[in-house]
Amino acid sequence: MTMLRATIGAEWIKLWTTRTVWWALTAALVLMAAGAGQYALYAENGDIDQTGAGEIAVLGLSFAQLAFLALATIVMTSEYSTGTMRATLTWTPVRSRLLLAKSAVIAGVTLVAGTVAGFVGVAVAAPILGNSSMGAVAPKMGLYLALLGVFAVGLGAALRGPVVSLVVLLMLVVVVPPLLQVPDLAVLNTIADALPGVAGQRFLLENSYGGLVIVAAWATAAFLIGARVLRRRDA
Amino acid sequence: MLITLEKLTKRFGATTAVDGLDLEVRPGRVTGFLGPNGAGKSTTLRMILDLDRPTSGRALLGGRPYSSYALPLRKVGAVLEAKAAHPGRTGRNHLLAMARSNAIAPARVDEVLELVGLSKNARKRTGTYSLGMGQRLGIAGALLGDPPVLILDEPVNGLDPDGVRWIRGLMRDLAAEGRTVLVSSHLLSEMQMTADHLIVIGHGRLLADAPLDEILSGHASLEDAYYTLTEGTALR
Repeated sequence: MTMLRATIGAEWIKLWTTRTVWWALTAALVLMAAGAGQYALYAENGDIDQTGAGEIAVLGLSFAQLAFLALATIVMTSEYSTGTMRATLTWTPVRSRLLLAKSAVIAGVTLVAGTVAGFVGVAVAAPILGNSSMGAVAPKMGLYLALLGVFAVGLGAALRGPVVSLVVLLMLVVVVPPLLQVPDLAVLNTIADALPGVAGQRFLLENSYGGLVIVAAWATAAFLIGARVLRRRDA
Repeated sequence: MLITLEKLTKRFGATTAVDGLDLEVRPGRVTGFLGPNGAGKSTTLRMILDLDRPTSGRALLGGRPYSSYALPLRKVGAVLEAKAAHPGRTGRNHLLAMARSNAIAPARVDEVLELVGLSKNARKRTGTYSLGMGQRLGIAGALLGDPPVLILDEPVNGLDPDGVRWIRGLMRDLAAEGRTVLVSSHLLSEMQMTADHLIVIGHGRLLADAPLDEILSGHASLEDAYYTLTEGTALR
């Protein structure tokens, strides 16, 4: 436990001592404000079905989550792209502890920043829509993003390359689900429901804890695969 | 603290990079690790640090694998590459994270920065460092945990003459304090001035493991002795 605290402490320092984190968090908040504002205007015009500020913030999240995904991916893959992985593993040779520490740091930061982003989305949308929301959805967004962050870190550990990791991540979360949802085929729709982005939406919009469990399962699987690859492959 | 290699072997597909190395590196002296490019020096050092997994055999530090130490930076300091820090992070922040990972007091960071002469540039991002400054930062990191074992892969690369002389003195001092100092290099004249003992490998196999004087005897220079030893083992 003491050792895990030391490793988390080191990863915490590393996260906040490059500019990446500031760019990513700024981008997340700007994307959320812009996305929520835009969707609120659509809703106000009657162009979309959603009318609650919380729902509008969830729509805004579809943009903002890209910044969080990029941050979580870079935290892991930059170790390979900048060649620091070997040094990092001499500090912390126990692979599973290193991955756990990185996941914990990213989960903590995305939980807090994701909740803040959720409140920002609601705060932008509510005045436009003229409804008052307490932003109950915001902490749920934080939770969803924290799990997605762990998923991205694990995937980065398994795939190593920043580009390939981001592409796979965006495919699974953003690109593939709408393609599966368009045709009215039960099989394809069921597959789409099992993907992390769709499951997350169900958790956020419909309060489906099944959706939350699916996202958590993706995160757990990616973590285990990432830990296995880290242990078995040469650094 | 001893470094022990027991039949250490590493294959990459059909290529055998390290072929059954069996040897001990002792404390209290500078051991030079020599061999042509591609001889397996870096792979061997990486296996000692548990970065690469041996195909067979093992590498031990004080009788235990590197990764079995809870605070490994207090046992072994290693410089593997000149640029092992994130280019966007300052040298000082790099060392602060490193210290935190092994429960080393932050005050030690400023001590080692002073020791390697990097205090003035400590708050600059490492992407702006020259190769020599990168080496100094790496050495600062290796000394952070005041370890009994030091492993340096080509440490004089990129250093100016003053830097070369400084690191030569540093390695000799560290060995004189009773530490185990293993340093790989392809600069033979440099090794002749620094090392007490030499390990020479070629094609991953041990060619010599003997005191410098013994290897030099009968030869005009280490360069002569080296070419006699490694004849025919360079990569073609």
